[in-house]
Amino acid sequence: MDSSLFIDIGSYQVQKNGEDCFGDTVYAKKIPEEQRIIGILSDGLGSGVKANILSSMTTRMAMKFMEDNTDLQVASETMMDALPICQIRKISYATFSIVDTELEGKTRIFEMDNPRYIFIRNNHLFDIKGREFSSPKWKDRKIFVSQVNNLPEDRIIVMSDGVTQAGIGNRKYPLGWGRDGCINFVLKTLEQDPHISSFTLSKKIVNEALDKENGRKAGDDISCMCLYFRNPRKLLIVTGPPFDEEKDKEIAELVSTYDGRIAICGGTTANIIERELCVKCEIDKTSFDSKIPMASTMEGVDLVTEGILTLTDVYRMLKEGIDKNSNTASVRLAKMLLESDKIDFVVGTKINVAHQDPSLPMELEIRRNIVKKIFRLLQSKYLKEISVRYV
Amino acid sequence: MEKIKVKICCGTSCFVMGASQIQILEIDPPADIKDKIEIEESRCMEHCHTNVSKYNRGPFVEVNGEVIEEANFEKVVNKIREILNKD
Repeated sequence: MDSSLFIDIGSYQVQKNGEDCFGDTVYAKKIPEEQRIIGILSDGLGSGVKANILSSMTTRMAMKFMEDNTDLQVASETMMDALPICQIRKISYATFSIVDTELEGKTRIFEMDNPRYIFIRNNHLFDIKGREFSSPKWKDRKIFVSQVNNLPEDRIIVMSDGVTQAGIGNRKYPLGWGRDGCINFVLKTLEQDPHISSFTLSKKIVNEALDKENGRKAGDDISCMCLYFRNPRKLLIVTGPPFDEEKDKEIAELVSTYDGRIAICGGTTANIIERELCVKCEIDKTSFDSKIPMASTMEGVDLVTEGILTLTDVYRMLKEGIDKNSNTASVRLAKMLLESDKIDFVVGTKINVAHQDPSLPMELEIRRNIVKKIFRLLQSKYLKEISVRYV
Repeated sequence: MEKIKVKICCGTSCFVMGASQIQILEIDPPADIKDKIEIEESRCMEHCHTNVSKYNRGPFVEVNGEVIEEANFEKVVNKIREILNKD
């Protein structure tokens, strides 16, 4: 099996009450050639436009330095030198947390003056030892460096001090929510929903911090970025009968051995798999709908649907959003696609002559075309990893 | 009495040619035949593949194994009534 992990990275921010723009900046970038993801969170001095400029300058510079693998000391000195000096406080300043991770190996984390990151493994807080150093030029600025080897289900959470200091001065939280408060909240949330996405987790943390503030008015910019390492969620879509009937067996074998979820799209395709694998496939009447043919259930397969109409409707929903309060076969398939990280399409290219009758509606597309539209959209809009094989 | 077996093809071409309307038999069948039929949907009965006619003769419905071509709601209900009256 492919050993590389999938990283789900997500963030959420609110700005200080009354400000028009964020004083914190979150910036993440994927470098596919190096199988590497870099995520940066920076908190600019003060709030509003000035802080925004400081923090965005910091993240952009830091990203460039990280990409080029510049020496950390040189990089951080250059950044501190380059930032404009605040007229009130007479210093140039923005904090940062940098998470630099390689899909198959280690993750390095560099932090300066942000709350220490939270590392969760096996649903427990995991303390990672690191090293602190400062530059001769800026002695009071300490950079904390640590390194960890990723395992599936690890999570890294970085945040600005808006999270830890939320509610500061309140009667209930005189010293703010604190990092410990945040850790407890994260552990509790993960207990309820172990597979929560990074975006949802970030949003929950920020909202919880906001709850601590008087009248839910943020006293500082509150930002959070989460990384979730996991084995890729794989999905196999088999659609269409193979051009050569001799391949039927091969496709059926693929279905029976695939290590992930499986969906079959196409009545004839399902009939072929049913015949080859000697399993029973039955219509699932709970998916009844007047526009989309019903789904079926088959042992060892997660979803069986009709082909072209369902795929066309899935394409529409991927563009416009998934229909709410609906349980049609196409809604189920669209949700499955979005829940997966890596999707393998196996497309049979045999043409069903009955579909070419000119009296049929024009929307009946050729399978190859509709599949092409779907996977391109999944790649560009949803950043899924796609493979397609025509048989 | 044994129920009459109605098998509706819900393959792509049958579905767009009107099988979705015949499915109404499932939700709201006429009162006189309501308790006398058993409905089954098929993913594709493959009559469209084997049919010798030049044009698609769907939707296909099988009533007690007998194929109805270019089926619609009335045609299927009439066929069911015909069988019921025969018995």
